[in-house]
Amino acid sequence: MSNPILSVKNLVKTYPNGVQALKGVSFDVKQGEFLVVIGLSGSGKSTLLRCINRLHDPTSGEIFFEGSDIAQVQGEEVRSLRKKVGMIFQHFNLVPRHTVLSNVLMGSLGRVGSFKSIFGFFSPKDKTDAHKYLKLVGIADKEKIRVDQLSGGQQQRVAIARALAQGPSILLADEPVASLDPATCHTVMDYLKKVNKELGITIVCNLHFLSLVRQYATRVIALKGGKVVYEGSPQDITEEWFEKIYGQDAKEVHIN
Amino acid sequence: MKAYLFRRTFFDSFIFAYLVMVLLVVVASPSPEEMLLLERNSILFTVAMFIGAVISSGLNKASNEKLHTLGESLFQPQYKKATKNEVSWYKTMAGWQLTVFLCVTFVVGIRVTKFSLLELLNEDGFAGAVRLFKGLFSPNFEILPKAVLNIIETIFMAFIATILAIPFAFVLSFFCARNIMKGPVAYAIYMSLRTLLNFTRAIEAIIWAIIFSVWVGIGPFAGMLALMIHSIASLAKQYSEMVETVSDGPIEGIQSTGATKLQTVWFAIVPQVILPYISFTVYRWDINVRMATIIGLVGGGGIGTMLIQYQGQAMWPEVGCIILVIAIVVWAMDQASAVIREALK
Ligand SMILES: Nc1ncnc2c1ncn2[C@@H]1O[C@H](COP(=O)(O)OP(=O)(O)O)[C@@H](O)[C@H]1O
Ligand SMILES: [Mg+2]
Repeated sequence: MSNPILSVKNLVKTYPNGVQALKGVSFDVKQGEFLVVIGLSGSGKSTLLRCINRLHDPTSGEIFFEGSDIAQVQGEEVRSLRKKVGMIFQHFNLVPRHTVLSNVLMGSLGRVGSFKSIFGFFSPKDKTDAHKYLKLVGIADKEKIRVDQLSGGQQQRVAIARALAQGPSILLADEPVASLDPATCHTVMDYLKKVNKELGITIVCNLHFLSLVRQYATRVIALKGGKVVYEGSPQDITEEWFEKIYGQDAKEVHIN
Repeated sequence: MKAYLFRRTFFDSFIFAYLVMVLLVVVASPSPEEMLLLERNSILFTVAMFIGAVISSGLNKASNEKLHTLGESLFQPQYKKATKNEVSWYKTMAGWQLTVFLCVTFVVGIRVTKFSLLELLNEDGFAGAVRLFKGLFSPNFEILPKAVLNIIETIFMAFIATILAIPFAFVLSFFCARNIMKGPVAYAIYMSLRTLLNFTRAIEAIIWAIIFSVWVGIGPFAGMLALMIHSIASLAKQYSEMVETVSDGPIEGIQSTGATKLQTVWFAIVPQVILPYISFTVYRWDINVRMATIIGLVGGGGIGTMLIQYQGQAMWPEVGCIILVIAIVVWAMDQASAVIREALK
């Protein structure tokens, strides 16, 4: 696989209030990679991911996804892009009051017609897939439980299953473990790794902790003030780089 | 910032102009014909407002906080409200402004409502009231079957008005929610719908009933239409306020799966608003039963129309029976809707 699955070129995002969150970001993601994006909060990590699946509109620059530039596409094309790009959020963003299974089935909304989905007609394949992915993230026994009854770690696993139900070729994860406790943190990251290894799905993941980065990433880019300041292998991040990314006073924290 | 200055100045000058007009009436004691000169009086009011605006601006420019006006202390932005010197109210301009306004309004109000102890204690009048109360407290239950049938008609009128209002209000609520109507075209639709609904709601149901009783003839159908129009406007507003408070998380979650707009509304927004929707709707039915009674008075059918017929013939024991039936049903509806709404929490 020589062609990158995702190729971001000179991406600029200026919010309507004038904040320039991305100032010309360029990088490539190869098929099957586990790319981690690090950076201080406010460095533009979330903005970057949201531009890629077009929850935000980029101001300028190109985003090549599976060969075509999707930076400025509109309407139906945005929807077909999103079907292939799963997204995991810091706060899970599940639909409250619905069960685990129902939330996972919502991952297939892109394939089901509007009216069919409203009346709950999901295809048998969608249903077996939903079960399969729930099993993959280890919560098959919870499918009838309302998601608001689950712990944070379990909710994030449901979110992963929902994203997988889309049948995506890439997963974007925006600080997926930032609101979880350290122990659960590793469980969720392990499932992401499993998805990456077993299903071969490319992952771009924003993270806060360098120790997690070393453990899970196959490659790292670092953002600072909306620019890429580091790109390389996680093993090569030295104390020097660390200071450059996080500022002079930063100390590396370990979580186990 | 600009809005605050405008509100402050308008408020102060309105109070000032009002006081000036009262003073003019007292001092010049104009004839009834003069009181009707709307044009001239409006000009006087406007001039007084202008003077008031100048005074208000002047006082509020003063560095001494005690001189600041009521409008200032009411509308000033939060950061100014955050700090304040402790001063007794009677040492401040605002305190006196409020006191004078309330006293003058009380005196004028007593005059306008022709408040009169004399009439309240007038012997003939009092005897009439006693007769009425006697009738009310010894209700004539012969008309009870008819009253029951009529109140059932009223309850159904309220029910159908509510049910028919739901789909309209449901659809409108999404078009009237700021967080959904993004973009210039959507904003224009949002603004015009909001204005239309506010206007509709400003017209009381009883006035709609008068309009419809001319249109479709006196009877329950006119009453139902009046309640329906009013319910659509009220529910759409309450619904849309709920839509505006939904959290963005599930919306983004569903959008990112490649869902359509309709699917996003159905799967991410509806689950967040459905319980409050039902709660508002049950409450609206409860309100509609009460309103339906009043609407009946102007020919909207049901128990209200029956009440006004007996009242016109001064048949107080019959009126007493009807009022009793209304009171029981309204009380029961009130209790039931409270219990249902509690269960929906
Ligand atoms: N919706 C928005 N409107 C305006 N500014 C925003 C918005 N979202 C983020 N920003 C700004 O953009 C910058 C980057 O934010 P973000 O992408 O959330 O960073 P990170 O995820 O790395 O913490 C910040 O300065 C933030 O304040
Ligand atoms: Mg972020």
